[in-house]
Amino acid sequence: MAPLLELKDFHYYYGNIHSVKGISLYVNEGEMVTLIGANGAGKTTTMQTISGLTSPKGIRGEIWFDGKKISGLKGHKISAMGLAHVLEGRHVFSKLTVEENLTMGAFMRKDTKNIKSDMDGVYKRFPRLLERKTQLAGTLSGGEQQMLAIGRALMARPKMILLDEPSLGLSPKITKEVFAAIKEINKEDGITVFFVEQNSKIALNTASRGYVMQTGEMVIEDTCENLMSNADVQKAYLGGE
Amino acid sequence: MNMSVYGMLLVSSLAIGSIYGLIALGYALIYKSSGLLSFTQGDILTLGAYLGLTFYSILGIPFAISLLLTMACAFVLGILLEKGVIRQLLNKNVGAIYVVLATIAISYIIQNGSQLAWGTIQLNFPSVFPVQNVNIFGVNVRPEALMCFIVSIALMIILHFFMTKTRFGTSMRAASMDSMAAESLGIDVSLTTGVSWGLSAGLAAIAGMLIGPIYGVYSTLGSTIGRKGFSGAVIGGYGNMYGAMIGGLILGIVETFSASLISSTYRNLIAYALLLIFMFIKPTGIFNERAIQD
Repeated sequence: MAPLLELKDFHYYYGNIHSVKGISLYVNEGEMVTLIGANGAGKTTTMQTISGLTSPKGIRGEIWFDGKKISGLKGHKISAMGLAHVLEGRHVFSKLTVEENLTMGAFMRKDTKNIKSDMDGVYKRFPRLLERKTQLAGTLSGGEQQMLAIGRALMARPKMILLDEPSLGLSPKITKEVFAAIKEINKEDGITVFFVEQNSKIALNTASRGYVMQTGEMVIEDTCENLMSNADVQKAYLGGE
Repeated sequence: MNMSVYGMLLVSSLAIGSIYGLIALGYALIYKSSGLLSFTQGDILTLGAYLGLTFYSILGIPFAISLLLTMACAFVLGILLEKGVIRQLLNKNVGAIYVVLATIAISYIIQNGSQLAWGTIQLNFPSVFPVQNVNIFGVNVRPEALMCFIVSIALMIILHFFMTKTRFGTSMRAASMDSMAAESLGIDVSLTTGVSWGLSAGLAAIAGMLIGPIYGVYSTLGSTIGRKGFSGAVIGGYGNMYGAMIGGLILGIVETFSASLISSTYRNLIAYALLLIFMFIKPTGIFNERAIQD
């Protein structure tokens, strides 16, 4: 079976700057895969281009999702195909309430009857959001905003979720909570997960396979187990000897 | 002066103030959706007055239906403006200031185009109501002036419910707060932006058709009103919908009363002095909207 998400010799150019230099990767249905690498490696560009959030002018190569070529499509079209994206820096709608944010997650759903029960599902998973449901999202703490961003993505009932730096700016305790939730989403809800993460240790402990990017190129791909014992990866990303 | 004179002044200041408010509302919608300033608002008001006059007086269509037709035409014009000009320029990566300049160019094209279509002579917009005056609490009021205020407030209330209670309206607000997040959730940001420009134009055109019977219709009708609407938007808090209406009303009241109590010669001086005072003392306006810093 073809993978759910596949990048084939993908390049990205910002004008003359060649920021992603021909990477290939795939994520199978039901998998949890991570993409790690230092700042400026091109991870966020890759993620945002998958979701159609960068200018299509810069794309070379192909991106396939769920059997269709999506490279060059607009973001809202890709989202409607079942690919959700939790953006780097959370991007909650700060002047909408928690509940309105969640409603916006279900924006393109036609089955309005089930939206309420899905919202209850999000509140059950993140009880702090229930306590704050009438509060403006901008008044939430960083951890709560991350939970809201994840909950909002879930409201679309996606086949797959991309997460960009879910631990950014969060305390170790909250990071743990967030990753426990991401694991649950993959294991219990069966949603395919592909995430970028600065904290390589937690990334490799959570995912099953991983890719390592360096200045726009893919340098290693392997199971997380192997990556953790790889000397280069240890030295560069895990702070080992 | 007796009370009935004050009453008349109040009604005429609310009438013109609510017209400023409608224009200011358009500035707010455009600023929120695109982060831009469009100088076409005033001239779309003029165009709306001409279109309304054509539907109502020349074609003999009932006033309410003419109003809806005028709004629909302007709505389409607003979307075309955004899709055909603004978006195209932004796609070429030109700076925001050039886009603003382009809106000035378009405003003159609309103004001159209206002259071409309807001539340079001021046209008379026939009265909408069979009576000259209605008596409210002992004050004689032109029903057209009253209509200005009532229709504007009704539009404001409808817009409020549309933006806060409907899914599409909420998505417009969401897209204006964070377009990338909105797009990632399946919201067609290009559509919500186009609709914002369409609504702005529609509101301006309605304002033109409301003020037409009071001021008459001529090609520069909207020039001053457009600038005053901008001042109203700043006074209320630039980019804030509610501030726009309140700012417009305040401007209408201040300028009408000062024109009558001090001198009508200084009407514009006082109105723009008020704008400057706000810019210096409270640039975020009455509703404390932080737009000026960017």
